[in-house]
Amino acid sequence: MSERGAASVDTEGERRRGGRSPAISRRAALAGAAGLTMATSGCLSQFRSIVNRDDIDQLSLTITTLPADGDRESIRLAREIAAVLETAGVDTAIEMRSNEEFLRAILINHDFDIYVGQHPGGIDPDFLYESLHSLYADESGWQNPFGFTNLLVDDLLETQREADGEERRDAVETLLEALAVEQPFVPVCTPTEHRLVRADRFEGWADGHLATRGGYLGLEPLTEESSEQLRTVHMDARPSQNLNPLTAEYRDRGTITGLLYDSLATETVTADGDSSLEPWLAEDVEWVDESTLVVELQPDCTFHDGESLTASDVAFSYRFLADTALGGDSSPAPSPRFRGRVAAIDEVEASDEHTLEFAVDAGQAVGEQALTVPILPEHIWRDRADEASVRGVRVAQGTTEAVVTNNFPPVGSGPFQYADHTDREHVTFERFDDHFTLREDVDRPEPTVDELRVQIDPRSTSAIQLLEDDAADVTSSALETYVVDDIDVSEDVELVESPSWTFYHLGFNARKAPFSNPRFRQVVARLLDKAWLVEEVFDGHARPIATPVTEEWVPDGLEWDGEDPEMPFLGSNGDLDVEAARAAFEDAGFRYDSDGTLRVRH
Amino acid sequence: MLTEVLTRVAVVVGIMLPISIALFIGRERLETTFTEWRARLRISGPVLVVLGIALVLNRMMRRSDPDIGFHMTSAIRDIEGEFILIFQRVANAYLTEYFAWIYVYGYTYLLIFPAVAYFVLSDTRMFRRLLTAYTLNYGLGLVLYLLVIAYGPRNILAGELETVLYDHNPEYQHLTREVNRNTNVFPSLHTSLAATVGIFAYLSRDEYLKWFPVAVVLAVSVIISTMYLGIHWAIDVVAGLALAALCVWLSDVIVGRWSLSASIGRLTGSDGSDGADESDGVDSD
Repeated sequence: MSERGAASVDTEGERRRGGRSPAISRRAALAGAAGLTMATSGCLSQFRSIVNRDDIDQLSLTITTLPADGDRESIRLAREIAAVLETAGVDTAIEMRSNEEFLRAILINHDFDIYVGQHPGGIDPDFLYESLHSLYADESGWQNPFGFTNLLVDDLLETQREADGEERRDAVETLLEALAVEQPFVPVCTPTEHRLVRADRFEGWADGHLATRGGYLGLEPLTEESSEQLRTVHMDARPSQNLNPLTAEYRDRGTITGLLYDSLATETVTADGDSSLEPWLAEDVEWVDESTLVVELQPDCTFHDGESLTASDVAFSYRFLADTALGGDSSPAPSPRFRGRVAAIDEVEASDEHTLEFAVDAGQAVGEQALTVPILPEHIWRDRADEASVRGVRVAQGTTEAVVTNNFPPVGSGPFQYADHTDREHVTFERFDDHFTLREDVDRPEPTVDELRVQIDPRSTSAIQLLEDDAADVTSSALETYVVDDIDVSEDVELVESPSWTFYHLGFNARKAPFSNPRFRQVVARLLDKAWLVEEVFDGHARPIATPVTEEWVPDGLEWDGEDPEMPFLGSNGDLDVEAARAAFEDAGFRYDSDGTLRVRH
Repeated sequence: MLTEVLTRVAVVVGIMLPISIALFIGRERLETTFTEWRARLRISGPVLVVLGIALVLNRMMRRSDPDIGFHMTSAIRDIEGEFILIFQRVANAYLTEYFAWIYVYGYTYLLIFPAVAYFVLSDTRMFRRLLTAYTLNYGLGLVLYLLVIAYGPRNILAGELETVLYDHNPEYQHLTREVNRNTNVFPSLHTSLAATVGIFAYLSRDEYLKWFPVAVVLAVSVIISTMYLGIHWAIDVVAGLALAALCVWLSDVIVGRWSLSASIGRLTGSDGSDGADESDGVDSD
C-alpha cells in the first residue's frame, strides 16, 4: 500500500510539473525576450500582468468505482454518469478498484475526485451526522469521507440530534431540505433487496430482515437435517478474509459480525422493513433523567472464550470505539465505524458488575441508537490499542492494531462463535450454547442451528444455482438486480423481497475544486436522470430518491414525484439537453471554450 | 461444484484424446514409443521439472495479492474503445454455447494433445520445445500479470455484454475465478498458449498433416472465445499473440543449446509428470 501511495504521489507531482513547466518556461522565455524591448517603453508591469495569469484547463476528473464482480450496478451507474459528464464537456475517466481497495481509497485515504457506490445508510437519519459533520472531515472511515464542511449544515445536524419526537421530525426535515440544496453527495436510488431462500428447510424467513442479525436467528428448521446447518451463500469474499467489526474496508452493514458480537440494543427489522429498537444484551434500558441512561445487562453472560462479560467490558467498548489508542497516541484514533453513534455518549460508568450509567450528549432517540455498537472483550482489545507496525514502513498516524487486524479468531459474545475459515471459500460458525437467548426465561430470537456456514460464491448466477440444487438455504447478500426477473421460484425456493436503507450515490471529494463548490455539485446532480437510471441499470428494482433516508423520514417536499423535486434532470428519458447543461454550468459561474469543453480552475 | 466441473473436463478430454491419437498419430509411432519412452522421458526430464515448477509458482503467485502493479484498465479502454462489442452483433445462443465449450474443453484438449503427439515422435526436440514454450508463456505471463492490473470487459461493459461466460455457465467460474484474481487479463494466456500450439502445428505439419488444420481452427476459436465471452480485451489478445511468437522463438533458441540439460536429465530421471498441466490448462483467465 505504501508503495502504491508513494507511486501515486510521484505521478501527481510529475503531472503537475509536466503540466506547468512548459508554461513557465515559455513565460520565462517570453519575459526574457520581450522584457528587453518593453523595459525601455515602461510597460513592464502591464506585460507582467498579462503573462503571469494561469490559463484555465478543461475539467478532467476520475470516477472511482467497483468492477462488475464487486458491484455490477455501481460500474454501470458510473459509466452512464461518465457519459453525461463527457456530453457536458468534462473529460472523464473511470477507475475501478476491488471492494476493499475501493473503500480504502474513499474512506481511509480520501484519494478520489468523485466516486459511485453504495452507502450503508441508516434506518435512523442520524447516520448523516457522522457522514457530513465538518468536525469529521479529517478523520478516516465512514465519518465524512466527502470532506464536506458547512457550518449551517453542522448546526442542523446537531439540532436533529438533540431533539426528540415531533421536534426532531421537523429538524430532520429542515436538514434534508438543506442537503438537497447543498448536494454534498448525490443520492441516486435505493435498491430493493432480493434474496432466495429455501422454504422446505426453514420457516420464518420473513420475520427478520436478512441484512440484520435477526434474519438468521429464530428460524425454524423443518427437517432433522436442517437443524444441523444453516447454509448461506455470500457473494463477497471479504467475510472470509476479515471479521473485525471496526475495519471499514471489509464491512458493508456488518451483518455477519453482528452475529458474533452482541450489542446492548438491536434494531429489529422485519423483511417488510418495519423496524424498532429493542434491548438485546441489555435486559433493561431506562432513562432516569433527560440525559442519563441506565442499562441493566443480561446476567452471567460470557464471551466465546469463557471469560465473563461484565459492565466494565461494556464501558471499555465505548471508550475504545471513541479512541482505539486509549489515549496512548498524541491525538485520539477513533474507530472508522460507529463514530457518530459513540459520539452521542459523553461518559459511561459501570456502577456494578451488571449496571451501567450513560451520560448522553444527544436526544433520547439518538442516544438509544448508540446502544447498537458491538461490545468487545476488554482482555483482547486492550492490547490492540498499540500502533500497528510493519517493519520498514511508516504507518499513518492513528493506525492502531485494532482497526487493521483481521481478527481471526473473533471472540465476541454473540449467538454464533467462530469455527473455521478458508480465504475466499467459506467461513463457518457454530452455535454459542451459552448465549443468553437460549435461556428458558429469555424470549428473544435465538440461534436454532448447530452450525452456520457462509459459503463464498462471487456471482448471483451461481449462487442461485446453489440454492436450486439444494446446496444452500439462503443468499445472504442481496442478488444483483439483472438476474431477478429470470428467477424461477418454486414451492421449495422462494424469493424474499425487502426494502433497503442503503442507497447508491455519487460522492464528491469536497476537498478539491470544483467539487467544493455547491453550485457545481448542483449542476452535476441535474445531469443525472435518476428515474431512467433505475430502469436502465437496476431493471426497475430500485426507487429513485431525492434524499438519502428511509421512506418514513422523507419530507413531503422531497417526495419523488416522477422527477427529482429539487434537482430535476436537464433533459428527458436519459437524454441530456446539452444546451441546458451548458447554460446551467455557465449560470453557476463556469465557462465553456469554443470547442465545447468545460473550463474550470482546479 | 468444482469437482463436478473438473470431472466433466477430465471425461471430455479423456474421450477426445484416444480418438485423436487414433486419428492423427497412428499405430506405428505408438509402438516405438512403448520401447523408447524411458529414454525420451530422461532427455525431457529437466524441461518437465521446470514446467512443473512454473505451474506451481504461477498458481501460488496468482492467488496472492502483491499489489505492486499499475492500474491500466482506463488506458486499455482509451486505446481500443469498445471494439470488443463487435462480437455482440453476431452473438447468438449457439455461438455462445460453442465458444463456452471451446473456452473450457477445447482449450484443455488443445494444450494436452500436442504434448502427447510430440512425445511419440522419436526426436524429442519438438516435445521439449513445446514444453519450454509452455513454461515461458506461464512465466512471462505471470510477470505481466503482476505489472498490469486491469479488469476485463465483463467487469466494465457489464450492461452491453450479453454473452458473459459466467452468466451462461456459472459453474465454470469455479474453474477460473477461484484460482485467479479478476485483474489478471493482460495478456490473454488462453490466446498465447493456443497460438503457441497453432504455430507448433505449423512447424510439425510434415509429421502431423491432419492435425495442422484442426489445431488452427481450435486455436482461432479459443482466441475469439476470449473476446466473445467478455473475458479479454483485444489488446490482451494482441499481447498474447506476441507472447506466443516470442515463446516459440525462444524455445528454438533455448532447447538443445546447452548440453547440460542432457546430463542433468540423467540425474533427475523421470521425475515430474505432466499431469499438472491437465488441471491447469483451464484455469488461466
